[in-house]
Amino acid sequence: MSQERETRNEKRETKLTRRELALAVSTSAVLLAQAPAPLPSNPDEELKAVKDAIQQTSQQLAKFDLPMSTEPAVHFRA
Amino acid sequence: MAASIPDDIFFASITEINQKLKAKEFSAVELAKAFCGRLEQLGPRYNALALSLRDKAVKAAKDVDGDLKRERYRGPLQGIPFGAKDLLAYAKHPTTWGAKPYAGQVFDYDATVLKKLIKGGGILAGKLAMVELAGGPSYRYASASLTGPGLNPWDPTRWSGGSSSGSGIAVAAGLVTYALGSETSGSILTPAAFCGVTGLRPTYGLVSRHGAMALSWTLDKIGPLCRSAEDCGLVLHEIAGADGEDPASAGKSFYYAPQFARDLKEVKVGFAPIDFAEWADPAGRPDFAKAIETVRSLGVQLVETKLPEFPYGPVIGTIISSEASSIFEPLIQSGNVDQLADQKQIAGLKAGLEITAKDYLKAMRIRSLMQEGMRTLFDDIDVLLAPSRLAPAPKITQPLDRPSSDRPTPKERGLTALIPAGNLAGLPALSLPCGFADGMPIAIQLVGRPFSENLLLTLGKFFQEKTDWHKRRPGASEPRA
Repeated sequence: MSQERETRNEKRETKLTRRELALAVSTSAVLLAQAPAPLPSNPDEELKAVKDAIQQTSQQLAKFDLPMSTEPAVHFRA
Repeated sequence: MAASIPDDIFFASITEINQKLKAKEFSAVELAKAFCGRLEQLGPRYNALALSLRDKAVKAAKDVDGDLKRERYRGPLQGIPFGAKDLLAYAKHPTTWGAKPYAGQVFDYDATVLKKLIKGGGILAGKLAMVELAGGPSYRYASASLTGPGLNPWDPTRWSGGSSSGSGIAVAAGLVTYALGSETSGSILTPAAFCGVTGLRPTYGLVSRHGAMALSWTLDKIGPLCRSAEDCGLVLHEIAGADGEDPASAGKSFYYAPQFARDLKEVKVGFAPIDFAEWADPAGRPDFAKAIETVRSLGVQLVETKLPEFPYGPVIGTIISSEASSIFEPLIQSGNVDQLADQKQIAGLKAGLEITAKDYLKAMRIRSLMQEGMRTLFDDIDVLLAPSRLAPAPKITQPLDRPSSDRPTPKERGLTALIPAGNLAGLPALSLPCGFADGMPIAIQLVGRPFSENLLLTLGKFFQEKTDWHKRRPGASEPRA
């Protein structure tokens, strides 16, 4: 099973050249330190704060350019 | 306490205790009773105990004594009392996952790791407290637990670290000889560092998670917290291995073999000086600097390096939140999620259901590039070295998602994202106590290629032969009643 997995990894690795990797990496933004917001004082505020944070995270992910050939880090096995 | 068990035994290594058992200096039953007594007496004071298993432990110890009498040796863990984070199923006993909604939960089977340890003659003394749901997507306060905040044996006004809180406390305070914890992103390394014990996060897939609560299928690992790197090797030897019950099992075994270690002159250790000189808490810098020199004195080649630039935080946050909220969807939809102790965790679980497939897949695709980036980094380097945590344990009232210092942020990131990076890439890590800051333990972490545990443990063993930080014990300070 492990040998099969290693073979799969090798196949996946060949889909991305070092140049593509460098291009992808260079587009990632360094996260800037931000002043912390005040602590939420009730559950509604807490939920809103978490949803806002998820939205911000989504925007950060969206800024990261990916080669079309990049597959997610999951392996489906038939 | 049993009169026949000297106090030093509570802080002795696995090998030392095993030798004394074989030499019949005391029996396994005496040992089990002594440890269970200590766990029951001190465990609750530190909020470390979820469930004492005294009766089962004493019964198992009787069997061990019978085996020892007949010279049936089952290995170094035979007769050694240990504890398990309360996310591991132990048949017919409560497994609470540290969370009120699951306080009455009972399984009818044992987690694979417990089965293995018990088969080897290990004595399960108790289930140990943890942060509720192993921290879920996130939590704000140390009090996010069914048993209250984990109190640090070195200073009970400070946190033990989490989410394997009870595991770190129990080893540090001499309540068990070793403990099992779990890590999704930092939950072994953090309590190990804060409590001054040695912690090992194995490679993803090396240790079965069957019978363990799932928080994130693609990140969860089970590993030991011990007195030394050598003890971690002995425990990993026993718990590692293929398991058809765990879909993520790598199908590999692990044989602890420090005698076959590579010549350390060939080993390249990468580190970022800025981590130790600018990111680390100023009070910890002198001992961190000495730790670097100790590693250098082992004969390895120290080279400067840094992590490839990726948005580690957003990626791991998205993956954990998405997977955790999917796993706990029934809890969320039932409304019982509101019984959790931490408001931020409640909100995080609810909101996690709204993370889009687009974002989850984007995070998992970036994760592929991260893995490739880490593989490239390890083309030239064998081991990464960084502080396990940049600062010692915070006060238990400190919000964990707020900075505890107003020091300016250094310009370079160095290896400061090594905990999320190492977890996202499934890499093994070893946390070694390396000194003190403001009277609290600090630690370094060594991170290696997948399945390079023997190299990390060998480096750790040699480091601990040159230092005695792992042998230090918490002082006489007792938690307030």
